[in-house]
Amino acid sequence: MNARNYSYELADEYNMKEYLEEQWKNMETLFIRKIMGFSSIGLGYKMQMPLIGRFLRSNAEKMIHSEKPGRNPVRADGHFGQVIPLEDAQHILGNLAAEPIIKNYCVCRWMQRGVKDAVCINFGCLSQIIPKLTRYIPVDEKWQLDREEAIAALETQNKKGYVASVWFQPVPYINAICSCESPECGGLRLRNDFGLRTVLKGEYLMTVNRDNCQGCKACVRMCQFGALRYLPSINKVIINHDKCFGCGVCRHACKNDALQLVPRESVPGQARNF
Amino acid sequence: MGKTKIKIDYKKCGPDGKMDPRECRKCLNVCDPAVFLMHPTLEEHPDPYNPEKWVVTPVWPDVCTSCGKCVSSCPVEAIKVSPGESLYKMRMHG
Repeated sequence: MNARNYSYELADEYNMKEYLEEQWKNMETLFIRKIMGFSSIGLGYKMQMPLIGRFLRSNAEKMIHSEKPGRNPVRADGHFGQVIPLEDAQHILGNLAAEPIIKNYCVCRWMQRGVKDAVCINFGCLSQIIPKLTRYIPVDEKWQLDREEAIAALETQNKKGYVASVWFQPVPYINAICSCESPECGGLRLRNDFGLRTVLKGEYLMTVNRDNCQGCKACVRMCQFGALRYLPSINKVIINHDKCFGCGVCRHACKNDALQLVPRESVPGQARNF
Repeated sequence: MGKTKIKIDYKKCGPDGKMDPRECRKCLNVCDPAVFLMHPTLEEHPDPYNPEKWVVTPVWPDVCTSCGKCVSSCPVEAIKVSPGESLYKMRMHG
């Protein structure tokens, strides 16, 4: 929640305009480009190989979290995010995000599911670049948003079941709040299927209050991570904290106030499990 | 059991075929694990802001469960799947 990470001052310092323009012109080809001789095609298989696999994994992690000078925009170096609950995302949009704020078609959903869905909220330097890529600008829909509109849009998306996530591109510059869906989110694919830390888990965890849970199962269908399950034997929902990202989306389905976000540190085994 | 292999015949689907994947998108939609990626070709495009040549690459064959829905939904019969062992099977039951 450091305001400087959202600022034009920081963007100028890192020459972000040219960097992000290059990154976004080439975003859909990120996974098929050869990087040090390897593309991401079949990355899961490649990382299973004994020695080469470990080399690939450590290099991919270095790229994803790179803060070095000379980062390469076509490889999206230093581009990673973190899942956040709706309230935090709305705080960012209301107070920290640099204007202009836009919403555009999600690049992941277009390239991996073939669907145009205007749910990505971008701001600062990035929202001046994306309009040049007309394929991502919504048709017949207001896409230049004021803060209140952005806050409302995010709430609608979150209640639909999309997970809010905030993104560095590249670290430490923050310019996007996405509404992700698994498995076609490029970040969640790498994290959930291949174990790469492209998307960090949130600062919170969900807990189920057994006294309040009536076993209606409505929350189970909201979870993008398969962390919730209904047990007929006890007529309650249980949660797998190892899978929970703390996005808070399941809360929207609970009519009995049985789901509560708690700080990650308050659950002993999950304290630093981002 | 080997790895799953998925092949797309670009003579049938892509800028040189009769189908533009941006118009069709059936394989992307029908695939539960989202194996396919639709992207501009790596060549230089006359307008880099608006690339016009797009293809589909089966970029994550490791999560394919070999259900065959892509094969039967492809209107130009461009997709071939040789079922193998998914990453999940390798890790859990290997």
